[in-house]
Amino acid sequence: MTNTIQILSIEKTGKESSLQKEHNNKSIKIIDGYFFSRNLDDQKFTKISKLISNDVSQTILTKKNVNKVLSSYCNFNWVVEIKFLPGVTDNIATTVKEIIKDNLKSSFKSFELGSTKIILIKGKKEDITKISKNEANPLIQTIKIYPFKQYLNNFKKNQFKIEKVKLPKKKYSKKEINLDISDYNLSLIGKLGIEENDKSRRGTLGLDLESLKTIRNYFSTIKRKPTDVEIETLAQTWSEHCKHKIFSAKIDDIQEGIFKKYIKGATDKIIQLRKDNFCVSLFTDNAGGIEFNKDWIICHKVETHNTPSALDPFGGAITGIVGVNRDCLGFGKGAKPIANTYAYYLADPNKKYQLYRQKNKNPMLPANFIAKGIISGVRVGGNCSGIPTPQGNVYFDDRFAGKPLVFCGTVGIIPKKIRGKLSHKKKANPGDIILMAGGRVGKDGIHGATFSSEELDPNSPVSAVQIGDPITQKKMSDVIIRELRDENLYSSITDNGAGGLSSSIGEMAKESGGFIVNLEKVPLKYNGLYPWEIWVSESQERMTLAVPPENVKKVINIFNARGVEATIIGKFIKKEKAIVKYNKTEILNLDMEFLHEGYPKLNLKTSFPKIKKEKKKIIKKRSLIDKLHKLLSSPNIVSKEFIATQYDHEVQATSIIKPLQGEGRVFGNATAIKPLFDDEKSIALSQAAYPQYAETNPYDMSGCSIDTAYKNLIVSGANSKKIAILDNFCWCSSDEPDRLYQLKEAAKACYDYAVAYQTPFISGKDSMFNDFKGFDKTGKSVKISIPPTLLISSIGVVDKISHLTKITPDDGDILLVLGNTRNELQDSVYSKIIGYEKSKNPVVNSKDALRTYRIFEKANKLGIINSAIGIDLGGIGIAVTKMAIATKKGLTIDLKLKNKISVDQFLFSESQSRILVSMKKNKLANFKKIFKGSHYTIIGKCTGSDVVEFKDNKKIIRGKISDFAKSYKQNIKGL
Amino acid sequence: MNVLVLSGYGINCENETLHAFEVVGFKGKIVHINDLIQNPKQLNNYQVFAIPGGFSYGDDTGSGNAMAKKILTNLYDHLIEFSLKDKLIIGICNGCQILINLGLVPSLNKKDPEVAMIENKSGSYECRWVDLKVNNNKSPWLKNINILNLPVAHQEGQFMIPINILKSIKANNLIGLQYINNHKKLAKGQFPFNPNGSRDDIAALTNQNGNVLAMMPHPERALYHYNVPNWQNNTSKKFGDGYKIFMNAKKFFA
Repeated sequence: MTNTIQILSIEKTGKESSLQKEHNNKSIKIIDGYFFSRNLDDQKFTKISKLISNDVSQTILTKKNVNKVLSSYCNFNWVVEIKFLPGVTDNIATTVKEIIKDNLKSSFKSFELGSTKIILIKGKKEDITKISKNEANPLIQTIKIYPFKQYLNNFKKNQFKIEKVKLPKKKYSKKEINLDISDYNLSLIGKLGIEENDKSRRGTLGLDLESLKTIRNYFSTIKRKPTDVEIETLAQTWSEHCKHKIFSAKIDDIQEGIFKKYIKGATDKIIQLRKDNFCVSLFTDNAGGIEFNKDWIICHKVETHNTPSALDPFGGAITGIVGVNRDCLGFGKGAKPIANTYAYYLADPNKKYQLYRQKNKNPMLPANFIAKGIISGVRVGGNCSGIPTPQGNVYFDDRFAGKPLVFCGTVGIIPKKIRGKLSHKKKANPGDIILMAGGRVGKDGIHGATFSSEELDPNSPVSAVQIGDPITQKKMSDVIIRELRDENLYSSITDNGAGGLSSSIGEMAKESGGFIVNLEKVPLKYNGLYPWEIWVSESQERMTLAVPPENVKKVINIFNARGVEATIIGKFIKKEKAIVKYNKTEILNLDMEFLHEGYPKLNLKTSFPKIKKEKKKIIKKRSLIDKLHKLLSSPNIVSKEFIATQYDHEVQATSIIKPLQGEGRVFGNATAIKPLFDDEKSIALSQAAYPQYAETNPYDMSGCSIDTAYKNLIVSGANSKKIAILDNFCWCSSDEPDRLYQLKEAAKACYDYAVAYQTPFISGKDSMFNDFKGFDKTGKSVKISIPPTLLISSIGVVDKISHLTKITPDDGDILLVLGNTRNELQDSVYSKIIGYEKSKNPVVNSKDALRTYRIFEKANKLGIINSAIGIDLGGIGIAVTKMAIATKKGLTIDLKLKNKISVDQFLFSESQSRILVSMKKNKLANFKKIFKGSHYTIIGKCTGSDVVEFKDNKKIIRGKISDFAKSYKQNIKGL
Repeated sequence: MNVLVLSGYGINCENETLHAFEVVGFKGKIVHINDLIQNPKQLNNYQVFAIPGGFSYGDDTGSGNAMAKKILTNLYDHLIEFSLKDKLIIGICNGCQILINLGLVPSLNKKDPEVAMIENKSGSYECRWVDLKVNNNKSPWLKNINILNLPVAHQEGQFMIPINILKSIKANNLIGLQYINNHKKLAKGQFPFNPNGSRDDIAALTNQNGNVLAMMPHPERALYHYNVPNWQNNTSKKFGDGYKIFMNAKKFFA
C-alpha cells in the first residue's frame, strides 16, 4: 500500500544539469512525484507506475528500493517538495488521470492526485532555500523544505499529502446588497469588494464611487436591491479592461474621446480614401480582419497580460498567449491561429530591485525570475498549441521593475465565405442555445478584469492568477475549426477571457437581444463555488457558442468524441434582458442597455507635463570599434537568438522569413509566413515601441513606433497598400493630467501617421495603470511607473515570393543608406551606453519617409535591391555590423560622406525612416534613375573579407566580424 | 497509394504532413485517434501510417508516453499487423517519440521499449536546422539519400540507448540518420550540430525491416526550397530536402 508514485531519471536530465550549474552543486536530483488521495494496492501501484514511467530511462521508487537507489547518487541531506496550491491548474495531474482512466477502465474509484516536484540535494540548508526560491512561486505553489531523513520516513509511512480545495459546504441563498449607505462605505465596496457574512471582503471590484451611485440610482428606479451577482457583473462589464473608459471619455475639448477621434477616426478616414476591400472587420470583433487574397481573410490581435505576469510570470504569460489564440478562434465564425507574436518589456534581469508590496513583506519576484518565467510561459503555450511563434522582441529598462509588460499576439486565417455565408459575420439568434465548451470552471482568475484595471498594490488578489492548459485548448480548437465551423453548426462564437461567462455571454447577447443562463449547469472543477464566482471566473480554455437547438445534440457529440466537454448552460432570447438563475432562483435581472451603456462617462483633463531631461553622463574616450562592441552587447541590441530557438517557428511548415537571418543568424526586425500551400502570398509581421523616447516627446515617440513597424514590413517586401497596424497602449497613472496629456499626444500622432501612411488600425487594446506602489528594502514607500509604451504591431501581405528580401549583401555589392541622417541621438542607445551628447530626439517626417519607402518598394520589385535592413536602435553603425555578422562577409564604410555631422552622430543617430540596402554594382545606374532627387548616400561596399572597416580620410579602423558576432551573441546577464 | 495521418490530443503537424504526402502523389486522410480506435479495420485501406509531430498530452509523463499507452491499450495489435505487411510507418518528432515508446522501433527482440527519448542535454527546447547523414540505405524511407538539411524542434530529442541495445542496433544497421557538423563529419555530440546530445549523434532509428522509421527532424517542414533558411541565396531548386523522404515512400509503392 502506498499513496505516492515517485519516478527519477537514471541519467542526469537537462534540468538537473542546469540547476547544478546554476547553484554550483553537483549533488542535485529531481524526482517526479504523484501524490494520491487514496492508497494504491500493490497491483494498482505497479500498473499505474508502469503507465506513467519509462522502463529504459527511469526508475520507480518503492519503499523497498528508495534508500538504495538514492544513496547510489550521493548522501542527500535536504529535500524541497514543490506542489501546486489547491485549485491551481495542474496539467500533469490532469494527463495522469486521463491515462489512468483510459487504460484502466476497470473499477478504479474516483481519486484526486497532484503532481509534485521533489528536489534532493546534498548541501547546506541555505542552498536548498535558494533553489526553492528560484524554482517555485509561493503565490501558486507550496514549498516544503525538510531533512532527507524525514523524506524517507514520509515514504515509509505514506505521509505524502495532497491538499484538496476545501471550500466550506454552503447552501446558497440569494444575497442582496444594501447600497443605501454612506459614501465611505460605498467606496469600500468598490475598493475591497462585497462584504461577506463573516465581514471578510471578496476582493476589489474596481468600481469608483460614481459608478456605485449610478448602480444605486438604477436599482432605486426599479424599486429593489441589487444582488451580489448583479454588482459583480456590472463591475466586470464596466471595468476599464472591458470598456476602455479612458479612451472613450471626453478629454479636454475632444467630445468623442481619443479612440473615436484618433484611432477609429484614422481608420474611418483611410477607408473613405481607399475605396477597396482591404479592411474587412475592424474593432468590433475579438480581432481585426483584413483581406489576404480573394478567398481568405487574415486577422490579428495583440493583448497584454502585465499584472498576472508580475504575480506569476509563467502562468501570466502562458495564459496571455493561449488567451489571445482564443481571440482568433473567436474572430468571425472562428479563425485558425497561424502565428504568434510576443514583445516583453522587462527590468534588467541582472539587477536586484528588492521591492515589496507591503512594508517589509510580500516581496516582488526577482527580475530574472520574472523574465525567465515569461519567456517559458509563451514557449510552452505556443509550442504545445502547434502555432508558430516567429515574431517578437525584448526590451529592458529599470522602470519595468514594478510591472513587466507582456504583449502576446496571434494571427489567424479564415475563408471569406463558409457555405455561401460571409464568415466574419455572426449573430446569436433568439432561441439559440448557449453552449460552453472546453475546460471547467474553478476559482482561478476571479476578478481578473477588474483587477487588471487597478494598480498593483498590497491587496492584489492571488486568485487573479491562472495557468493555461494548451492541450485542452488545442483539442477544443481542432473541433471548432475542423469539424463544426465549416458545417455551419453554430451561429455565433466568442471566447471566455476577462470577465468569463459574464462578459462572453453579455457581449454575444447584444446580437440576439438578451439571455437566460442557468448557472448550476456549468461544470465545475470542484464543488463549493458561489454563483457569482462561477459567473465571473476566468478559468481558461473555454469558448461560448450560440447553437441553433436542432444542432445542439450533434455539436455536443462531436466535442465529446474528441475528449472535449461541452455543456448547455442557457439560451439567447429576443427580450433585451440579462437574466441569470441558480437552481431556479433568479439572481440577476438587468436591462441590457444598462449593463452595457449605463456606466458613468469620464470627463478627463490634461496638462502639459514637466519634461524629464536625460541625465548627463560624461563620454569616456573609446575607440569606434570599442563603441560598436559596447552597443552590440547591450541588452536592447544583443541577439535574442536564445528565445527564437526555444520558440517553434517552423510548425505548420509556413516559415519563409525566419527570426534568425543569414548564415550568421541575426535576429531580424520582421518575419514572414506563407500560410497557404496553393498561394505564393506571404504574411509579413513586425512590431515596434519606443518607451525610451516617451518622456521627451510622446507625439514623436508614437510617430517613431508607427514608422518603424511600417518600415520593417516595407523592407521585408510587403505591398505598401496591404499593411495594417494594431495599437497597444500601456500607460501609467492614467488618472494624472500630465500622463493623460502624453496619452493624447501619442494618440494624435497615431492619427496623423496612420492617415499619412494609409495604414488602418484594425484592432487595439489598452492597459492604463502600469504602476507599482509599494516599498523598497528599507521600508520607504515607492512608486514605480512604466514609461508610456505604445506597441505598434504591423501585418502586411507580400504578393510574391520574389519580393521577400534578405539582409545579407554579396561580394562586390554597393551599400547605400536611403533616407536622411540627422543629429538625433537624444534618448538613443548610444546616449545611454556611451554618453550624452547635445542632440535632438528622432522625429518622423512622413512625406520624406513615404518617398523613400515607395522608391524602395519599386526598386525591390524590379529586382534592383539585393539585400536590405531597417535602421533602428544603434543607427547605421549597428545596422552595418549586423549585416556583416549575418552575411559573414566584410564591409567597408566611407565616413567622408557623413556630411555635416560628427562620426558618432552619423553612425549612431537613431533618425527614423532609413534603410540600409545593398545592390549589385551594375544596378546602380538604374537605381539612380528611379531614386533621383531623393535622399540616399552611397556609404561603401561589400568586400568579402573578414572585417568591417571604416575609412575616415587617411585613417582606417577595422573590426573583425567574428569579434562583432561574439559581442552580438553574448548572453544577457541574469538570464 | 493512401496515407493515414494520425491526429488528436495535441498532435499538431498533421496538415503539413498530409500535404507533403499529397505533393508526391499520395491520397490521404487525417484520422482522429478516437475514430481509429472505433474502427481500426480502416487501416486496411492505407499503405502508409504516419504519426506526425506535436505535443500529445503536452509531453506530460514524458514525450510520447501517454499517446503510446493509449495506442498500446487500444490499437497495438493492428499496428503490429500493419508493420509486418509490405507497408510503411513513419513517426516524426512526437511521432518518433511515440513509436519509440511503443517499442515498434528498433524492435529487436522483445515487445517492451528498448530505447528511450530523454530531454535535450541543453535542457532547453531547440528549434533549429541541422545537417544529417543517412546511415542506413536499406530502409525504403532513406534509399539513395546521402545528406539532408532539415529542422528539428523538440525538448526531448535525445535517444537514450543501453549499451547492449546499441550494439545490436549497430550490428543490425538500424541507425537511420545521424547529425553531422559543418564539415560533413559526424557531430560527435557537439552542440549545435547535434542539438540534443544524442548518443552516436543518432537522429533516427528504423526497425529491422526498415519499413518503420522514427525520426526526430521534420521533413515536412523542409518541403519547398523557400522553407529552407537563406533560400534567397539558392533559388534554383524547387524542393527542400524533406521532399526526398516522401518521394521515397512513393517510389516504394510505384
